[in-house]
Amino acid sequence: MPDREPKIVGFCCEKHGIDSVDLAARSGRQYDSSIRLVRVPCTGRVDGTHLLKALEEGADAVFVLGCLEKNCYYDTGSIEGRKRVAYVKSMLSEVGIEPERVEMFNASSSMSWKFSEIASNMVKVAARLGPIGSRGGGR
Amino acid sequence: MKRRVQVVICRTCSGAADVLDVDRLLRVASDAPYVGSAVIVNYACNKKSISEIVDDAKSKEVDRLLLVPCSKKDVSPTLFQAYVKKAKMNEFLMETVDLVGEAALPHRDDPARAQAKAEAKLLAAIARTALLEPLHKITEDMRTKNVVVIGAGVAGVEAATTAANLGMHTIIIEKSEKKLKVPGVMMTKSRVISTEGHAGNYSLSIEAGEKRETLECAAVVVASGGDWSDAERRFIDAAPDSKPLYQLDRDVSEGKTPDGTVIIIDTPDPEGARTAAQDFAWEEALDCAIEIRKKSPATEVYLLFQEMRAMGLAELAYKEAAGLGVTFVRYDAKRPPEFDSEDGNRVTVLDMAQDETLSIAFDALYYASVSPNPDNIAIADALRIPMSPSGGIRRGSIQRGPVTTLRPGIFVCGSAKFPKSEGMARLEGRAAGLLAAQFAAAGEVESGGSVAEVAPEKCSACLTCVRTCPYEAPFIGVAGKAEIAIQMCQGCGMCAGICPSKAIELHHFTDEQLLTEAAVYLRGDF
Repeated sequence: MPDREPKIVGFCCEKHGIDSVDLAARSGRQYDSSIRLVRVPCTGRVDGTHLLKALEEGADAVFVLGCLEKNCYYDTGSIEGRKRVAYVKSMLSEVGIEPERVEMFNASSSMSWKFSEIASNMVKVAARLGPIGSRGGGR
Repeated sequence: MKRRVQVVICRTCSGAADVLDVDRLLRVASDAPYVGSAVIVNYACNKKSISEIVDDAKSKEVDRLLLVPCSKKDVSPTLFQAYVKKAKMNEFLMETVDLVGEAALPHRDDPARAQAKAEAKLLAAIARTALLEPLHKITEDMRTKNVVVIGAGVAGVEAATTAANLGMHTIIIEKSEKKLKVPGVMMTKSRVISTEGHAGNYSLSIEAGEKRETLECAAVVVASGGDWSDAERRFIDAAPDSKPLYQLDRDVSEGKTPDGTVIIIDTPDPEGARTAAQDFAWEEALDCAIEIRKKSPATEVYLLFQEMRAMGLAELAYKEAAGLGVTFVRYDAKRPPEFDSEDGNRVTVLDMAQDETLSIAFDALYYASVSPNPDNIAIADALRIPMSPSGGIRRGSIQRGPVTTLRPGIFVCGSAKFPKSEGMARLEGRAAGLLAAQFAAAGEVESGGSVAEVAPEKCSACLTCVRTCPYEAPFIGVAGKAEIAIQMCQGCGMCAGICPSKAIELHHFTDEQLLTEAAVYLRGDF
């Protein structure tokens, strides 16, 4: 469905995550506007239900963006975030939804180039897969 | 609660060079549910605008504010604290939304979509703001102005001196019997056994000789330093007469220069079992090499290293040393130099730059690397702070600062983290001393606000939160249900995210607030 812009939700941590987004914006990087960012204090706050609910509300893809694992503001937060994402991925593949729709990313606040890469990655995934169920998968 | 939102759009900043149509944003905001008042001000970070906003808030009877500034970080906190005070609003009912960083700047090429995105983002932020709850912070007085410094090495003494000069009462805890003239108290032959309490009011159990004491303190500085004895043992086996670099540094400063061929090496381990690159005393190594070459040009100097880390102006020393004929040999961490002491001292090493194997007969070997202090394990255990895989004390995220640890009020400096040169250790000691003094001088410590809370009726006491929290805030209370120690909670919400019974809620970032924001944002088509 080329006439529909993809919808992507990103849960983004308030520490390094949002700083890298801010730096990307302020250093003039452009990315697709389909990305909708929701701030969380730490990616460890993200719960499987948040990701699933976002997909249910119409998101084509969801990602979580946190600090680098070795430099997380809350020490183990982004590791917890990665585990939740992995769990949701396994849940999605069980019900026949492409697990690539959910992804975890890490960035440090000085990585201005990182966020536009993440955005274009997720937009590609969302454009390839289309809305959930559009390729005969899903229930 | 009224749940009436005042939306304040800053014209100067939120428009982002005419990408967004600010007047349309105002119309969108005015028509949104829960909005009691929507205004545009020309420049929000301005005292006059603040009083205008406050008057508007009072006349429209709103109880919360959504500010559309340039970015959350650029908003002047003092000005808006004044706003919160004047408007008699709870500080947690003030929210900001960054339309510039998330819509205007990154989608400058497509203003129509940027505008649509900004509108959707604004609606999502309004929906979130409407759901915010008033929260309160707790202030607790610190019982003491004590700063405890663990270790009386270079960094520790510097930290204690700095903190003492700022009026703190410092206590140095030193394991050996060494006596030093330092400000404050010095406890020799003592060590920390355990910690209770939280930032600002730590209570340490100290073993001093035979006695056990409890020590109240506001802040702790860990300066356990490194341990040369491990490297000493290993190098004496590989090359007898080898010495640590600080020995060479002392000799050279006293005018004694070694003769023959001198090798300075960075590895902590001649067998190559531990070859992680060390951030260590390259500055000192370079200075020594330069001095030796200047004073006795007949002495040949080789610097064997994995990675050159002469930072800042020390880079000039690198150049000078090269000019004086010091030979730099870069080796691969996977192929450490091999020592042979059978017929004279000899080292064989593959020079990566030349791709050539060198065999150097030497007269003196100096190792510039210090191993982590084995006592770090006990210290980390006692203070409940994490360690790094290399055996040092792990510093907190760089956003907390370079000498911080995971726990507020506990600082780490010098070689306790990883090997440091003497100058760097002194500098870090000063930094840690300053921060600890600043922390203790506040006299009170704030907690609460956006913290986690357990709904006891849902809790099944599965201990998941207790195991997950890096701050050890959750515990099982007398009722057999999890509870959160507010003073310990840092508001990351890991417990709320992982709780299988969904019994924990993180204030200010509740499931309802996050999901509503996402749902409203997704309703926007752009």
